[in-house]
Amino acid sequence: MLAHSANLVTEKALIGIPRKKETAPVLASQKQIETSCVIIDANTSPKLEEVRVEMANMKVESRPVELLTSVGSCVAICLHDAMNKCGGLAHIMLPTSNNPLLEPLPSKFANTAVPALAKAVREISGNDIRLSAKIAGGANMFANLGPNSLDIGGKNVQAVKAALALHKIRLEGEDVGGVSGRRITFNTHSGIAVVKSFRGASRIL
Amino acid sequence: MNKQINIDATSEQGNVKASFSEQSQVDSGILLELGSIGAGHAATSLSDVIQQPVTIDLPKILNLQVHLIPSFYNLHEVPTIGVFLQLMEDNGCDILLMLELSEARKIAAMMTMASSIEELDPSMETSAIHELANILIGSFLTAISDFVGMTLLPTTPQSALDTFDAILDTFLVKQSMLSESALIFETRFKRLGEDAKCILMIFPSSELRNQLIQKSKTLLNL
Repeated sequence: MLAHSANLVTEKALIGIPRKKETAPVLASQKQIETSCVIIDANTSPKLEEVRVEMANMKVESRPVELLTSVGSCVAICLHDAMNKCGGLAHIMLPTSNNPLLEPLPSKFANTAVPALAKAVREISGNDIRLSAKIAGGANMFANLGPNSLDIGGKNVQAVKAALALHKIRLEGEDVGGVSGRRITFNTHSGIAVVKSFRGASRIL
Repeated sequence: MNKQINIDATSEQGNVKASFSEQSQVDSGILLELGSIGAGHAATSLSDVIQQPVTIDLPKILNLQVHLIPSFYNLHEVPTIGVFLQLMEDNGCDILLMLELSEARKIAAMMTMASSIEELDPSMETSAIHELANILIGSFLTAISDFVGMTLLPTTPQSALDTFDAILDTFLVKQSMLSESALIFETRFKRLGEDAKCILMIFPSSELRNQLIQKSKTLLNL
């Protein structure tokens, strides 16, 4: 049926009879679609797989993935190996473990998570590789949590910085403190961490 | 034998602990019953305020390892208003009311008689939500304190607007300083026909728990 009508058109064209102009009614909404342009974002890269790191956990990846976590008064520590393009992320809850050597969950405390994460990254990349660190978190959302609470966010940040200095890992970027929580995505390939706070714009570390 | 091991394994993975001892089963039964009384009263007063039917889920007592709680709720980046109160006599007891932002706005608009959400003034919104928390938690605590004959008064509310995980995080950190696992008493309120939830979480301190259980036991001649 389609082929037949197409033939008819060509025949008409050959003979040279002017075709009657098609004046199908065009709806306003259809016009809109025709005229609107398609916006192509130059920064849109093929999306990487997102891997969520739960609270008091850590993950190390040699594949290029986006490690993702959200923190309030906790702190996210991202370690990156620029040579081998791999890295890991730890989500810590508390500043110091009382029993650092026998801690069942080392990724829960700042002073045990930093060596554990560094060790896990170095298992992929080799022993004497230089690592760089980026940290985010340590917010204090409620001004007054009652008399027996302290500024845990600030203490977490201090403890993480101390642990990084102790293990000779350079701190490349930080986004800490404040009153709002953060969502962190860490690209294990490029080492770029994007920190998005709930109210503010996203910040690239 | 195998079955026993399975139960232990699931409780370690963060499911609700299935293996309470006989004594603690009675105790948690008492706490649940007290909570149900409170939740019923709270739902009634919420329904009075917004002039709409409100349903509640059966209250639950969760005893989970602290770091597994965010994945248990699985509401990671949902915008949430968290209202936080404590008991005046007992600083260890945190009470947290988690409202999905869109739902909180709707309820605030109903309370302030605003014709739409857009008309709502931000400061009015905050104040309405604080008031909602006061009413809800106030009637919850009054019902319990009437029953056991203890005075339970809440402090003034504070609120924060953020993602679900970020708000919960603060309280979990506080709990994890005390022990490995957290005991949470939880009820969910829902407006009829709406999907958005409003979660009331209470982290009772061990002293408060013991007091409540002792008082109830003497009342019930147990």
